[in-house]
Amino acid sequence: MPPESQRDEDIFESQYIDKYLSEYASVSSIVREALPFELIATVGGVIAGIIFSGMTAELEMIPGLLVIYPGVLGLRGNISSTLGSRLGSAIHLGLITDLDRRNPELMNNIYGSLILSVIIAIVLGVLGHYVTLALGFESAGVLKLTLICVISAFTSGIILSIIAALLAIGMFRFGFDPDNVVTPSIATLGDIVSMLMLFISAKLVVML
Amino acid sequence: MTKEEHQTPYYTIEGIIQRGLPVLIITCIMSILVGQILNSREESLISMPAILILIPSLIKIGGDTGSMLGARLSSALHMGLGDNLRSNPVVRNSVIAASIVGFISSISVSILVFLASSLFGFGMPLLTLLQISLIAVAIELAVVYSATVAIAFASHRFGIDPDDTVIPFIASLGDLVGVAGILIALNLLEIL
Repeated sequence: MPPESQRDEDIFESQYIDKYLSEYASVSSIVREALPFELIATVGGVIAGIIFSGMTAELEMIPGLLVIYPGVLGLRGNISSTLGSRLGSAIHLGLITDLDRRNPELMNNIYGSLILSVIIAIVLGVLGHYVTLALGFESAGVLKLTLICVISAFTSGIILSIIAALLAIGMFRFGFDPDNVVTPSIATLGDIVSMLMLFISAKLVVML
Repeated sequence: MTKEEHQTPYYTIEGIIQRGLPVLIITCIMSILVGQILNSREESLISMPAILILIPSLIKIGGDTGSMLGARLSSALHMGLGDNLRSNPVVRNSVIAASIVGFISSISVSILVFLASSLFGFGMPLLTLLQISLIAVAIELAVVYSATVAIAFASHRFGIDPDDTVIPFIASLGDLVGVAGILIALNLLEIL
C-alpha cells in the first residue's frame, strides 16, 4: 500500500474514532438516549409488580409458584427480546418486508421462539419442582407447575411475537430503526404480558 | 423468482433452537436459583405486598442497563475500539452513563412503588423504599457491570460474538443479584 493512502486512512480512522467518541460515547449522550426508555421500562415493571402483589392468594395456594416466577418472566427477555432483535436484523437485510404468513424468514423466527419457549417452560416446571423438593420446601407437584409454565410461556410467547412482528415492520415503515424501538418495547410490555399470563394460568390450574 | 423460493431461508427453526437452547438452559437454572431465594423468604414477602411490587421493577434495572452496556461494549469491540480496558473512554463513559441511568431509575421505581402501594392501602414509607432500592441497586450494578465488562472482553478475546453471550446472561445475573440485593437491603434495614 502506498504510504500516502495509508496516512489518509489513518487520519480518516482517527477522525472517525473521535467522532464516535464525542457523538455516541459521551456520558450525557448515552444517558439522554437510554434514560427515557429505562424510565418507561420501570413503569412496566411496577405494573407487573402490582399484578404480582395481587397474586398472594395464588402464591399461598400453589407452593412453588414463587420458584418458577423469575423463570417465566425471564423468558420474555431471553426469547421475545432476541426475537425482536432478529426481526430487526432481518428487516435491515431485506428478508422481511411485510406481515406475510408465507414468508419463511418471519414464520421460522416466530415458530422457533415459540418452540424454544415451550421446551424451556417444561424444563423450568420440572426443574422448579424437584429443586424445591430437594431443598426441603413444599411443591404443588410437577404436573401443576409445568402446566402453569407451559400455558403462560406459550400464550405470552404468541402475544409478544405478534407485537414484536407488528412493531418491527410498522416502525420500519414509518422510518424508525426497529432495533431502537422493538427491544425496549418488548422488555416493557413483556413483563406486563408475562405476569398477567402467569396470573391467569395459575388461576386456571387452581381451578383444575 | 423460482430460484428464490427454493433457497433455504436465512433463519431456520432448527438454527434458532440450536443457538438459543444452551444459553436458555443456563439462564433457566439461574432463574430457579432466584426463585429458591425468594421461596426461602416466601412468608415475609407475602406479608409485604409493597416489596412484591418493588421486586420485578427493581431487579430489571441491572439487567436492562447491563444489557445496554454489553451491547455498547460489543459494538465498540466490533469497531476495534477496545484495545485497552482501563484507559478506554468507551468503557469508562458507558459504565458511568449506565450507573447514572440505573440510579435515577431506582429512585423513580421507589416513588412509583410508594404511590402504587399507598393507592392500594399497604403503603410503606417512601424513605424506607428509597433506602431498600438504593442499597439493592448499588449491589446489583457493581456486580452486573463488572461481569458485563469481563464477559464482553473475554468473549472478544476468545473470538465469540459478545452479542450472543453477554445479553441473555446479564439479564439473568441481574435478576439473581437484584433479588439477593433486595434481601440484603431488607436485612440491613432490619425489616425482614
